[in-house]
Amino acid sequence: MIFPYLIHILILIGIYSILSVSLNLVLGYSGLLNLGQIALFGIGAYTSALLSTNGVPFVVSFILAGIISAIFGLLLVFATKKLKGDYFALASLGFAFVIYSLLLNLKEITNGPLGITSIPKPTLFGFIIKENFYFLLLVLIICIISIYIINKIVNSGFGKLLSAMRDNELGLKVLGKNTSKLKYKAMLISGFFAGISGSLYAHYIGYIEPNTFYLTELIFILTIVIIGGIASIKGSVISTFLIIAISETSRFLPFPSSIVGPARQIVYSVILLIILIFKPRGLYGRIDLE
Amino acid sequence: MSLLLQVIVNGLIAGSIYALVSCGFSLIYNTNRFMHFAHGVSVLVSGYILFTLFTLLNFNFYFALISSLVYSSFIGFLIFRIVYLPLQNRKASNVILLIASISLLLLFQNLLQMIYGANVKDIGFTDIKIGYEIGDVIITQNQIIILIISIILFVSLFLFMNKTKLGKNMRAVSENKELASIVGINSKKVSDLSFFIGSFLGGIAGVLISLEQNVTPYMGTMLTIKGFTSSIIGGIFSVPGSILGSYILGLAENLGILYLPSGYKDAISFVLLFLFLLLKPNGLFSSKRRVN
Repeated sequence: MIFPYLIHILILIGIYSILSVSLNLVLGYSGLLNLGQIALFGIGAYTSALLSTNGVPFVVSFILAGIISAIFGLLLVFATKKLKGDYFALASLGFAFVIYSLLLNLKEITNGPLGITSIPKPTLFGFIIKENFYFLLLVLIICIISIYIINKIVNSGFGKLLSAMRDNELGLKVLGKNTSKLKYKAMLISGFFAGISGSLYAHYIGYIEPNTFYLTELIFILTIVIIGGIASIKGSVISTFLIIAISETSRFLPFPSSIVGPARQIVYSVILLIILIFKPRGLYGRIDLE
Repeated sequence: MSLLLQVIVNGLIAGSIYALVSCGFSLIYNTNRFMHFAHGVSVLVSGYILFTLFTLLNFNFYFALISSLVYSSFIGFLIFRIVYLPLQNRKASNVILLIASISLLLLFQNLLQMIYGANVKDIGFTDIKIGYEIGDVIITQNQIIILIISIILFVSLFLFMNKTKLGKNMRAVSENKELASIVGINSKKVSDLSFFIGSFLGGIAGVLISLEQNVTPYMGTMLTIKGFTSSIIGGIFSVPGSILGSYILGLAENLGILYLPSGYKDAISFVLLFLFLLLKPNGLFSSKRRVN
Protein backbone atom coordinates (compact mmCIF):
# COMPACT_ATOMS: atom_id res chain seq x y z
CA MET A 1 0.00 0.00 0.00
CA ILE A 2 2.69 2.44 1.01
CA PHE A 3 5.16 1.23 -1.61
CA PRO A 4 3.26 2.32 -4.76
CA TYR A 5 2.66 5.66 -3.14
CA LEU A 6 6.35 6.08 -2.41
CA ILE A 7 7.10 5.37 -6.07
CA HIS A 8 4.54 7.98 -7.10
CA ILE A 9 6.18 10.60 -4.86
CA LEU A 10 9.65 9.73 -6.13
CA ILE A 11 8.54 10.07 -9.75
CA LEU A 12 7.15 13.54 -9.07
CA ILE A 13 10.34 14.49 -7.22
CA GLY A 14 12.39 13.37 -10.22
CA ILE A 15 10.28 15.38 -12.68
CA TYR A 16 10.17 18.54 -10.58
CA SER A 17 13.89 18.28 -9.76
CA ILE A 18 14.70 18.64 -13.45
CA LEU A 19 12.32 21.61 -13.70
CA SER A 20 13.61 23.37 -10.60
CA VAL A 21 17.26 22.86 -11.54
CA SER A 22 16.51 24.18 -15.04
CA LEU A 23 14.93 27.28 -13.48
CA ASN A 24 17.87 27.72 -11.12
CA LEU A 25 20.21 27.70 -14.11
CA VAL A 26 18.63 30.90 -15.44
CA LEU A 27 17.31 32.47 -12.24
CA GLY A 28 20.23 31.63 -9.98
CA TYR A 29 23.32 31.12 -12.07
CA SER A 30 22.61 33.59 -14.87
CA GLY A 31 20.58 36.19 -13.00
CA LEU A 32 17.80 36.17 -15.59
CA LEU A 33 14.66 36.72 -13.55
CA ASN A 34 12.53 34.43 -15.58
CA LEU A 35 8.96 34.02 -14.32
CA GLY A 36 7.93 32.21 -17.50
CA GLN A 37 9.57 28.87 -16.83
CA ILE A 38 6.23 27.25 -16.04
CA ALA A 39 5.12 28.08 -19.59
CA LEU A 40 8.16 26.28 -21.03
CA PHE A 41 7.28 23.28 -18.87
CA GLY A 42 3.75 23.49 -20.31
CA ILE A 43 4.98 23.81 -23.89
CA GLY A 44 7.06 20.66 -23.39
CA ALA A 45 4.11 18.80 -21.89
CA TYR A 46 1.72 19.82 -24.67
CA THR A 47 4.25 19.15 -27.45
CA SER A 48 4.93 15.66 -26.19
CA ALA A 49 1.29 14.91 -25.46
CA LEU A 50 0.06 16.10 -28.87
CA LEU A 51 2.77 14.27 -30.79
CA SER A 52 2.38 10.97 -28.98
CA THR A 53 -1.42 10.96 -29.10
CA ASN A 54 -0.94 11.32 -32.87
CA GLY A 55 1.25 8.25 -33.05
CA VAL A 56 4.74 9.74 -32.82
CA PRO A 57 7.07 7.45 -30.80
CA PHE A 58 7.90 8.52 -27.24
CA VAL A 59 11.60 9.11 -27.80
CA VAL A 60 10.90 11.50 -30.67
CA SER A 61 8.15 13.42 -28.83
CA PHE A 62 10.32 13.59 -25.73
CA ILE A 63 13.26 15.13 -27.56
CA LEU A 64 11.06 17.43 -29.64
CA ALA A 65 9.40 18.62 -26.41
CA GLY A 66 12.83 19.72 -25.21
CA ILE A 67 13.73 21.34 -28.52
CA ILE A 68 10.45 23.25 -28.93
CA SER A 69 10.61 24.55 -25.36
CA ALA A 70 14.22 25.57 -25.90
CA ILE A 71 13.20 27.52 -29.00
CA PHE A 72 10.42 29.29 -27.09
CA GLY A 73 12.90 30.09 -24.30
CA LEU A 74 15.25 31.55 -26.87
CA LEU A 75 12.44 33.59 -28.43
CA LEU A 76 11.54 34.94 -25.00
CA VAL A 77 15.02 36.28 -24.23
CA PHE A 78 15.50 37.43 -27.80
CA ALA A 79 12.26 39.42 -27.78
CA THR A 80 12.96 40.91 -24.35
CA LYS A 81 16.65 41.63 -24.78
CA LYS A 82 16.20 45.35 -24.21
CA LEU A 83 14.39 44.89 -20.89
CA LYS A 84 16.20 44.74 -17.60
CA GLY A 85 15.49 43.68 -14.02
CA ASP A 86 11.87 43.71 -13.02
CA TYR A 87 10.70 44.60 -16.52
CA PHE A 88 12.25 41.41 -17.84
CA ALA A 89 10.55 39.54 -14.99
CA LEU A 90 7.22 41.14 -15.91
CA ALA A 91 7.62 40.40 -19.60
CA SER A 92 8.41 36.75 -18.83
CA LEU A 93 5.32 36.67 -16.63
CA GLY A 94 3.39 38.19 -19.54
CA PHE A 95 4.82 35.45 -21.76
CA ALA A 96 3.45 32.83 -19.33
CA PHE A 97 0.02 34.52 -19.50
CA VAL A 98 0.09 34.50 -23.31
CA ILE A 99 1.02 30.81 -23.47
CA TYR A 100 -1.68 30.01 -20.92
CA SER A 101 -4.34 31.82 -22.93
CA LEU A 102 -3.19 30.14 -26.14
CA LEU A 103 -3.45 26.70 -24.50
CA LEU A 104 -6.91 27.71 -23.34
CA ASN A 105 -8.14 29.15 -26.62
CA LEU A 106 -6.53 27.24 -29.49
CA LYS A 107 -9.21 24.63 -29.01
CA GLU A 108 -8.64 22.91 -32.36
CA ILE A 109 -5.11 22.02 -31.28
CA THR A 110 -5.05 21.95 -27.48
CA ASN A 111 -8.67 20.98 -26.77
CA GLY A 112 -9.03 24.17 -24.68
CA PRO A 113 -9.88 23.98 -20.98
CA LEU A 114 -10.75 20.28 -21.24
CA GLY A 115 -7.11 19.50 -21.85
CA ILE A 116 -5.59 16.40 -23.41
CA THR A 117 -6.55 13.04 -22.02
CA SER A 118 -5.26 9.48 -22.42
CA ILE A 119 -1.68 10.41 -23.18
CA PRO A 120 0.02 7.05 -23.84
CA LYS A 121 2.62 5.58 -21.52
CA PRO A 122 6.13 5.78 -22.99
CA THR A 123 7.38 2.96 -25.22
CA LEU A 124 11.11 2.28 -25.27
CA PHE A 125 12.63 -0.33 -27.60
CA GLY A 126 9.23 -1.96 -28.06
CA PHE A 127 8.72 -2.15 -24.31
CA ILE A 128 5.71 -0.25 -22.93
CA ILE A 129 6.47 1.34 -19.58
CA LYS A 130 3.15 0.66 -17.93
CA GLU A 131 4.20 0.02 -14.39
CA ASN A 132 5.14 2.96 -12.22
CA PHE A 133 8.24 1.19 -10.99
CA TYR A 134 9.72 1.17 -14.49
CA PHE A 135 8.57 4.73 -15.03
CA LEU A 136 10.48 5.66 -11.90
CA LEU A 137 13.62 4.05 -13.32
CA LEU A 138 13.18 6.04 -16.55
CA VAL A 139 12.64 9.30 -14.63
CA LEU A 140 15.60 8.66 -12.35
CA ILE A 141 17.94 7.98 -15.28
CA ILE A 142 16.82 11.13 -17.12
CA CYS A 143 16.90 13.16 -13.91
CA ILE A 144 20.44 12.07 -13.02
CA ILE A 145 21.73 12.70 -16.54
CA SER A 146 20.04 16.14 -16.66
CA ILE A 147 21.39 17.23 -13.31
CA TYR A 148 24.83 15.89 -14.19
CA ILE A 149 24.84 17.92 -17.41
CA ILE A 150 23.58 21.11 -15.74
CA ASN A 151 26.13 20.66 -12.96
CA LYS A 152 28.90 20.29 -15.56
CA ILE A 153 27.66 23.40 -17.33
CA VAL A 154 27.57 25.63 -14.26
CA ASN A 155 31.07 24.54 -13.25
CA SER A 156 32.49 25.02 -16.75
CA GLY A 157 34.05 28.18 -18.12
CA PHE A 158 30.71 28.99 -19.68
CA GLY A 159 29.01 28.62 -16.28
CA LYS A 160 31.56 30.97 -14.73
CA LEU A 161 30.76 33.50 -17.43
CA LEU A 162 27.06 33.17 -16.63
CA SER A 163 27.71 33.89 -12.95
CA ALA A 164 29.94 36.78 -13.87
CA MET A 165 27.13 38.16 -16.01
CA ARG A 166 24.73 37.85 -13.08
CA ASP A 167 27.12 39.69 -10.74
CA ASN A 168 28.31 42.36 -13.12
CA GLU A 169 26.92 42.42 -16.62
CA LEU A 170 28.47 45.74 -17.54
CA GLY A 171 31.89 44.58 -16.38
CA LEU A 172 31.67 41.51 -18.54
CA LYS A 173 30.68 43.65 -21.52
CA VAL A 174 33.69 45.87 -20.92
CA LEU A 175 35.86 42.76 -21.16
CA GLY A 176 34.40 42.25 -24.62
CA LYS A 177 32.05 39.38 -23.88
CA ASN A 178 28.77 39.22 -25.76
CA THR A 179 26.32 38.91 -22.86
CA SER A 180 23.29 38.60 -25.14
CA LYS A 181 24.76 35.39 -26.56
CA LEU A 182 25.34 34.06 -23.05
CA LYS A 183 21.70 34.70 -22.21
CA TYR A 184 20.49 32.96 -25.39
CA LYS A 185 22.58 29.90 -24.62
CA ALA A 186 21.50 29.77 -20.97
CA MET A 187 17.85 30.04 -21.94
CA LEU A 188 18.18 27.41 -24.69
CA ILE A 189 19.63 24.91 -22.23
CA SER A 190 17.17 25.77 -19.49
CA GLY A 191 14.23 25.63 -21.90
CA PHE A 192 15.32 22.22 -23.14
CA PHE A 193 15.34 20.72 -19.66
CA ALA A 194 12.06 22.42 -18.72
CA GLY A 195 10.58 20.91 -21.89
CA ILE A 196 11.71 17.34 -21.23
CA SER A 197 10.47 17.52 -17.64
CA GLY A 198 7.13 18.68 -19.04
CA SER A 199 7.13 15.69 -21.39
CA LEU A 200 7.76 13.29 -18.50
CA TYR A 201 5.00 14.96 -16.52
CA ALA A 202 2.49 14.59 -19.38
CA HIS A 203 3.29 10.92 -19.95
CA TYR A 204 3.26 10.11 -16.26
CA ILE A 205 -0.01 11.82 -15.28
CA GLY A 206 -1.63 10.96 -18.62
CA TYR A 207 -3.74 14.12 -18.59
CA ILE A 208 -2.84 17.80 -18.94
CA GLU A 209 -4.87 21.02 -18.90
CA PRO A 210 -3.90 24.71 -19.15
CA ASN A 211 -4.32 25.37 -15.40
CA THR A 212 -1.42 23.04 -14.64
CA PHE A 213 0.84 25.66 -16.22
CA TYR A 214 -0.42 28.88 -14.64
CA LEU A 215 0.19 31.16 -11.67
CA THR A 216 -0.37 28.57 -8.95
CA GLU A 217 2.22 26.22 -10.40
CA LEU A 218 4.53 29.15 -11.03
CA ILE A 219 4.52 29.98 -7.33
CA PHE A 220 5.01 26.29 -6.58
CA ILE A 221 8.18 26.05 -8.63
CA LEU A 222 9.49 29.44 -7.50
CA THR A 223 8.96 28.36 -3.90
CA ILE A 224 11.03 25.24 -4.54
CA VAL A 225 13.92 27.16 -6.10
CA ILE A 226 13.91 30.00 -3.57
CA ILE A 227 13.70 27.67 -0.55
CA GLY A 228 16.54 25.58 -1.96
CA GLY A 229 18.62 28.65 -2.53
CA ILE A 230 19.77 30.67 -5.49
CA ALA A 231 22.61 29.17 -7.51
CA SER A 232 22.57 25.86 -5.68
CA ILE A 233 21.68 22.67 -7.54
CA LYS A 234 21.85 20.66 -4.34
CA GLY A 235 19.46 23.13 -2.71
CA SER A 236 16.93 22.84 -5.55
CA VAL A 237 16.92 19.04 -5.40
CA ILE A 238 16.59 18.88 -1.61
CA SER A 239 13.90 21.51 -1.63
CA THR A 240 11.99 19.60 -4.33
CA PHE A 241 12.08 16.57 -2.01
CA LEU A 242 10.74 18.60 0.91
CA ILE A 243 8.00 20.44 -0.96
CA ILE A 244 6.70 17.45 -2.93
CA ALA A 245 6.74 15.32 0.23
CA ILE A 246 4.72 17.94 2.13
CA SER A 247 2.38 18.40 -0.82
CA GLU A 248 1.74 14.70 -1.42
CA THR A 249 1.41 13.58 2.20
CA SER A 250 -1.12 16.35 2.81
CA ARG A 251 -3.54 14.20 0.78
CA PHE A 252 -3.86 11.92 3.79
CA LEU A 253 -5.16 14.67 6.03
CA PRO A 254 -8.76 14.01 7.05
CA PHE A 255 -10.21 16.98 5.17
CA PRO A 256 -12.06 17.20 1.85
CA SER A 257 -9.95 18.11 -1.18
CA SER A 258 -11.76 21.46 -1.48
CA ILE A 259 -10.00 22.39 1.78
CA VAL A 260 -6.68 20.59 1.32
CA GLY A 261 -6.04 22.06 -2.16
CA PRO A 262 -6.25 25.73 -1.15
CA ALA A 263 -4.60 24.98 2.22
CA ARG A 264 -1.59 23.59 0.41
CA GLN A 265 -1.33 26.77 -1.70
CA ILE A 266 -1.61 28.86 1.45
CA VAL A 267 1.27 26.93 3.01
CA TYR A 268 3.48 27.45 -0.07
CA SER A 269 2.71 31.16 -0.22
CA VAL A 270 3.41 31.63 3.49
CA ILE A 271 6.67 29.65 3.33
CA LEU A 272 7.75 31.68 0.32
CA LEU A 273 6.96 34.98 2.06
CA ILE A 274 8.79 33.93 5.23
CA ILE A 275 11.86 32.87 3.24
CA LEU A 276 11.84 36.13 1.26
CA ILE A 277 11.59 38.26 4.39
CA PHE A 278 13.77 36.33 6.84
CA LYS A 279 16.09 33.98 4.96
CA PRO A 280 16.57 35.27 1.42
CA ARG A 281 19.38 32.82 0.74
CA GLY A 282 17.17 29.81 1.28
CA LEU A 283 18.68 26.58 2.54
CA TYR A 284 21.84 26.34 0.47
CA GLY A 285 21.93 29.57 -1.51
CA ARG A 286 25.28 31.12 -2.14
CA ILE A 287 24.00 34.59 -2.87
CA ASP A 288 20.95 36.64 -1.98
CA LEU A 289 18.25 36.67 -4.59
CA GLU A 290 18.58 40.09 -6.19
CA MET B 1 -24.48 49.88 -35.86
CA SER B 2 -26.51 49.35 -32.71
CA LEU B 3 -24.38 46.31 -31.89
CA LEU B 4 -21.26 48.43 -32.25
CA LEU B 5 -22.71 51.08 -29.92
CA GLN B 6 -23.61 48.45 -27.35
CA VAL B 7 -20.10 47.01 -27.53
CA ILE B 8 -18.60 50.46 -27.03
CA VAL B 9 -20.79 51.05 -23.97
CA ASN B 10 -19.79 47.67 -22.56
CA GLY B 11 -16.16 48.53 -23.24
CA LEU B 12 -16.48 51.80 -21.34
CA ILE B 13 -18.06 50.05 -18.36
CA ALA B 14 -15.31 47.41 -18.24
CA GLY B 15 -12.76 50.21 -18.74
CA SER B 16 -14.13 52.13 -15.74
CA ILE B 17 -13.61 49.18 -13.44
CA TYR B 18 -10.13 48.50 -14.85
CA ALA B 19 -9.34 52.18 -14.39
CA LEU B 20 -10.24 52.10 -10.70
CA VAL B 21 -7.74 49.27 -10.30
CA SER B 22 -5.05 50.69 -12.54
CA CYS B 23 -4.98 54.20 -11.12
CA GLY B 24 -4.36 52.75 -7.65
CA PHE B 25 -1.73 50.51 -9.16
CA SER B 26 0.00 53.40 -10.86
CA LEU B 27 -0.27 55.64 -7.78
CA ILE B 28 1.44 53.00 -5.66
CA TYR B 29 4.05 52.32 -8.32
CA ASN B 30 4.91 56.00 -8.59
CA THR B 31 5.48 56.59 -4.90
CA ASN B 32 7.12 53.22 -4.19
CA ARG B 33 8.66 52.13 -7.49
CA PHE B 34 7.58 48.51 -7.50
CA MET B 35 4.72 46.47 -8.87
CA HIS B 36 2.11 45.87 -6.19
CA PHE B 37 0.64 42.74 -7.75
CA ALA B 38 -1.20 42.03 -4.49
CA HIS B 39 -3.38 45.04 -5.34
CA GLY B 40 -6.06 42.49 -6.23
CA VAL B 41 -6.24 41.55 -2.54
CA SER B 42 -8.13 44.80 -1.89
CA VAL B 43 -10.58 43.90 -4.64
CA LEU B 44 -11.11 40.45 -3.11
CA VAL B 45 -11.42 41.68 0.46
CA SER B 46 -14.00 44.33 -0.39
CA GLY B 47 -16.08 41.90 -2.46
CA TYR B 48 -16.12 39.22 0.22
CA ILE B 49 -16.76 41.63 3.12
CA LEU B 50 -19.71 43.04 1.20
CA PHE B 51 -21.00 39.52 0.54
CA THR B 52 -20.53 38.47 4.17
CA LEU B 53 -22.10 41.52 5.78
CA PHE B 54 -24.87 42.28 3.32
CA THR B 55 -25.81 38.91 1.82
CA LEU B 56 -24.98 36.45 4.60
CA LEU B 57 -25.60 38.56 7.72
CA ASN B 58 -28.29 40.87 6.29
CA PHE B 59 -26.74 44.10 7.49
CA ASN B 60 -27.78 47.40 5.94
CA PHE B 61 -26.29 47.73 2.44
CA TYR B 62 -24.54 51.05 3.05
CA PHE B 63 -23.05 49.84 6.32
CA ALA B 64 -21.71 46.76 4.48
CA LEU B 65 -20.43 48.95 1.67
CA ILE B 66 -18.53 51.33 3.94
CA SER B 67 -17.11 48.46 6.00
CA SER B 68 -15.82 46.72 2.90
CA LEU B 69 -14.06 49.89 1.75
CA VAL B 70 -12.50 50.42 5.18
CA TYR B 71 -11.25 46.83 5.31
CA SER B 72 -9.87 46.89 1.79
CA SER B 73 -8.01 50.17 2.42
CA PHE B 74 -6.52 48.75 5.60
CA ILE B 75 -5.47 45.49 4.03
CA GLY B 76 -3.40 47.35 1.43
CA PHE B 77 -1.78 49.41 4.17
CA LEU B 78 -1.06 46.29 6.27
CA ILE B 79 0.48 44.45 3.33
CA PHE B 80 2.81 47.39 2.86
CA ARG B 81 3.79 47.52 6.52
CA ILE B 82 4.05 43.77 7.19
CA VAL B 83 5.54 42.47 3.95
CA TYR B 84 6.93 45.20 1.70
CA LEU B 85 8.50 47.46 4.30
CA PRO B 86 10.69 44.73 5.89
CA LEU B 87 11.74 43.69 2.39
CA GLN B 88 12.58 47.27 1.44
CA ASN B 89 14.47 47.72 4.69
CA ARG B 90 16.76 44.87 3.81
CA LYS B 91 17.20 46.42 0.35
CA ALA B 92 15.45 43.64 -1.54
CA SER B 93 15.17 44.24 -5.25
CA ASN B 94 11.94 44.96 -7.11
CA VAL B 95 11.79 41.41 -8.37
CA ILE B 96 11.69 40.08 -4.81
CA LEU B 97 8.85 42.47 -4.05
CA LEU B 98 7.12 41.29 -7.22
CA ILE B 99 7.44 37.60 -6.24
CA ALA B 100 6.27 38.41 -2.71
CA SER B 101 3.27 40.28 -4.05
CA ILE B 102 2.26 37.46 -6.41
CA SER B 103 2.42 34.99 -3.54
CA LEU B 104 0.34 37.34 -1.37
CA LEU B 105 -2.30 37.47 -4.08
CA LEU B 106 -2.44 33.69 -4.29
CA LEU B 107 -2.41 33.45 -0.50
CA PHE B 108 -5.58 35.52 -0.22
CA GLN B 109 -7.22 33.89 -3.22
CA ASN B 110 -6.78 30.48 -1.64
CA LEU B 111 -7.69 31.68 1.83
CA LEU B 112 -11.02 32.99 0.56
CA GLN B 113 -11.54 29.91 -1.56
CA MET B 114 -11.00 27.73 1.53
CA ILE B 115 -13.44 29.74 3.63
CA TYR B 116 -16.17 30.45 1.08
CA GLY B 117 -15.67 27.76 -1.56
CA ALA B 118 -14.70 28.19 -5.20
CA ASN B 119 -18.22 28.80 -6.53
CA VAL B 120 -19.51 32.24 -7.52
CA LYS B 121 -21.49 34.26 -5.00
CA ASP B 122 -24.34 36.56 -5.93
CA ILE B 123 -24.55 39.69 -3.79
CA GLY B 124 -28.30 39.87 -4.48
CA PHE B 125 -28.65 43.66 -4.25
CA THR B 126 -31.53 43.92 -6.69
CA ASP B 127 -32.33 47.63 -6.28
CA ILE B 128 -29.92 48.53 -9.05
CA LYS B 129 -30.66 45.87 -11.65
CA ILE B 130 -33.22 47.94 -13.57
CA GLY B 131 -32.27 48.20 -17.23
CA TYR B 132 -32.76 51.24 -19.44
CA GLU B 133 -33.01 51.26 -23.19
CA ILE B 134 -31.39 54.34 -24.67
CA GLY B 135 -31.84 54.14 -28.43
CA ASP B 136 -30.78 50.58 -29.15
CA VAL B 137 -28.35 50.39 -26.27
CA ILE B 138 -29.30 48.60 -23.07
CA ILE B 139 -27.65 49.80 -19.89
CA THR B 140 -28.49 48.92 -16.28
CA GLN B 141 -28.70 51.34 -13.41
CA ASN B 142 -25.68 49.66 -11.87
CA GLN B 143 -23.65 50.26 -15.02
CA ILE B 144 -24.60 53.94 -15.00
CA ILE B 145 -23.47 54.08 -11.38
CA ILE B 146 -20.14 52.49 -12.36
CA LEU B 147 -19.57 55.12 -15.06
CA ILE B 148 -20.52 58.06 -12.83
CA ILE B 149 -18.69 56.95 -9.68
CA SER B 150 -15.48 56.25 -11.56
CA ILE B 151 -15.51 59.67 -13.21
CA ILE B 152 -16.22 61.41 -9.87
CA LEU B 153 -13.33 59.50 -8.29
CA PHE B 154 -10.91 60.31 -11.09
CA VAL B 155 -11.72 64.02 -10.83
CA SER B 156 -11.36 63.92 -7.02
CA LEU B 157 -8.06 62.10 -7.31
CA PHE B 158 -6.84 64.69 -9.80
CA LEU B 159 -7.88 67.54 -7.49
CA PHE B 160 -6.30 65.80 -4.50
CA MET B 161 -2.98 65.28 -6.30
CA ASN B 162 -2.83 68.81 -7.66
CA LYS B 163 -4.52 71.03 -5.09
CA THR B 164 -3.84 69.60 -1.63
CA LYS B 165 -0.56 69.63 0.27
CA LEU B 166 -0.63 65.86 0.81
CA GLY B 167 -1.21 65.26 -2.86
CA LYS B 168 1.62 67.58 -3.80
CA ASN B 169 3.89 65.72 -1.38
CA MET B 170 2.98 62.51 -3.10
CA ARG B 171 3.82 63.93 -6.47
CA ALA B 172 7.10 65.25 -5.13
CA VAL B 173 8.06 61.81 -3.83
CA SER B 174 7.18 60.20 -7.12
CA GLU B 175 9.24 62.79 -9.01
CA ASN B 176 12.32 62.49 -6.85
CA LYS B 177 12.37 60.65 -3.56
CA GLU B 178 15.71 61.97 -2.33
CA LEU B 179 14.96 65.56 -3.15
CA ALA B 180 11.57 65.23 -1.47
CA SER B 181 13.18 63.91 1.71
CA ILE B 182 15.68 66.78 1.69
CA VAL B 183 12.87 69.32 1.76
CA GLY B 184 11.38 67.45 4.72
CA ILE B 185 8.71 65.25 3.19
CA ASN B 186 8.35 61.99 5.09
CA SER B 187 8.39 59.45 2.27
CA LYS B 188 7.23 56.60 4.48
CA LYS B 189 4.07 58.54 5.34
CA VAL B 190 3.57 59.19 1.64
CA SER B 191 3.92 55.46 0.96
CA ASP B 192 1.38 54.68 3.68
CA LEU B 193 -1.01 57.17 2.15
CA SER B 194 -0.54 55.84 -1.38
CA PHE B 195 -1.37 52.33 -0.19
CA PHE B 196 -4.46 53.62 1.62
CA ILE B 197 -5.77 55.56 -1.35
CA GLY B 198 -4.79 52.98 -3.94
CA SER B 199 -6.39 50.15 -1.96
CA PHE B 200 -9.49 52.24 -1.33
CA LEU B 201 -9.90 52.67 -5.10
CA GLY B 202 -9.26 48.93 -5.54
CA GLY B 203 -11.94 48.30 -2.92
CA ILE B 204 -14.42 50.39 -4.88
CA ALA B 205 -13.59 48.38 -7.99
CA GLY B 206 -14.21 45.23 -5.94
CA VAL B 207 -17.63 46.43 -4.79
CA LEU B 208 -18.66 47.52 -8.28
CA ILE B 209 -17.56 44.30 -9.98
CA SER B 210 -19.25 42.24 -7.27
CA LEU B 211 -22.51 44.04 -7.92
CA GLU B 212 -22.11 43.94 -11.69
CA GLN B 213 -21.06 40.30 -11.94
CA ASN B 214 -20.46 38.04 -8.94
CA VAL B 215 -17.95 37.47 -6.17
CA THR B 216 -15.35 34.81 -6.96
CA PRO B 217 -11.93 34.00 -5.49
CA TYR B 218 -10.37 34.58 -8.91
CA MET B 219 -11.59 38.14 -9.46
CA GLY B 220 -8.63 39.60 -7.58
CA THR B 221 -6.07 37.98 -9.84
CA MET B 222 -8.06 38.79 -12.95
CA LEU B 223 -8.50 42.48 -12.09
CA THR B 224 -4.87 42.78 -11.03
CA ILE B 225 -3.79 41.54 -14.43
CA LYS B 226 -6.28 43.80 -16.21
CA GLY B 227 -5.31 46.83 -14.14
CA PHE B 228 -1.65 46.10 -14.64
CA THR B 229 -2.11 45.68 -18.40
CA SER B 230 -3.98 49.00 -18.50
CA SER B 231 -1.16 50.75 -16.68
CA ILE B 232 1.41 49.31 -19.07
CA ILE B 233 -0.67 50.36 -22.09
CA GLY B 234 -1.22 53.90 -20.84
CA GLY B 235 2.11 54.29 -19.08
CA ILE B 236 2.63 53.29 -15.47
CA PHE B 237 4.37 56.56 -14.61
CA SER B 238 1.23 58.51 -15.29
CA VAL B 239 -2.03 58.05 -13.37
CA PRO B 240 -4.14 59.73 -16.09
CA GLY B 241 -2.27 57.59 -18.64
CA SER B 242 -3.23 54.46 -16.74
CA ILE B 243 -6.86 55.55 -16.70
CA LEU B 244 -6.83 56.12 -20.46
CA GLY B 245 -5.07 52.78 -20.91
CA SER B 246 -7.90 51.11 -18.99
CA TYR B 247 -10.54 52.46 -21.34
CA ILE B 248 -8.43 51.40 -24.31
CA LEU B 249 -8.19 47.90 -22.87
CA GLY B 250 -11.92 47.73 -22.08
CA LEU B 251 -12.78 48.82 -25.62
CA ALA B 252 -10.18 46.54 -27.23
CA GLU B 253 -11.49 43.50 -25.37
CA ASN B 254 -15.10 44.18 -26.20
CA LEU B 255 -14.47 45.16 -29.82
CA GLY B 256 -12.14 42.18 -30.20
CA ILE B 257 -14.81 39.64 -29.39
CA LEU B 258 -16.96 41.02 -32.18
CA TYR B 259 -14.50 39.22 -34.44
CA LEU B 260 -13.07 36.49 -32.18
CA PRO B 261 -14.74 33.83 -30.03
CA SER B 262 -15.65 35.25 -26.60
CA GLY B 263 -13.09 33.02 -24.90
CA TYR B 264 -10.42 35.26 -26.37
CA LYS B 265 -11.41 38.23 -24.20
CA ASP B 266 -8.67 37.59 -21.66
CA ALA B 267 -6.23 36.50 -24.34
CA ILE B 268 -6.55 39.95 -25.93
CA SER B 269 -5.33 41.64 -22.77
CA PHE B 270 -2.52 39.12 -22.25
CA VAL B 271 -1.26 39.65 -25.78
CA LEU B 272 -1.55 43.45 -25.46
CA LEU B 273 0.37 43.28 -22.16
CA PHE B 274 3.18 41.26 -23.69
CA LEU B 275 3.39 43.38 -26.84
CA PHE B 276 3.47 46.64 -24.90
CA LEU B 277 6.15 45.34 -22.53
CA LEU B 278 8.27 44.38 -25.51
CA LEU B 279 7.67 47.28 -27.85
CA LYS B 280 6.55 50.23 -25.75
CA PRO B 281 7.31 49.54 -22.09
CA ASN B 282 6.79 53.23 -21.22
CA GLY B 283 3.24 53.09 -22.49
CA LEU B 284 1.37 55.47 -24.76
CA PHE B 285 1.02 58.50 -22.53
CA SER B 286 3.97 58.79 -20.19
CA SER B 287 6.27 61.43 -21.46
CA LYS B 288 9.86 61.64 -20.42
CA ARG B 289 10.89 58.87 -18.09
CA ARG B 290 12.54 55.69 -19.26
CA VAL B 291 11.84 52.30 -17.80
CA ASN B 292 15.40 51.05 -17.63
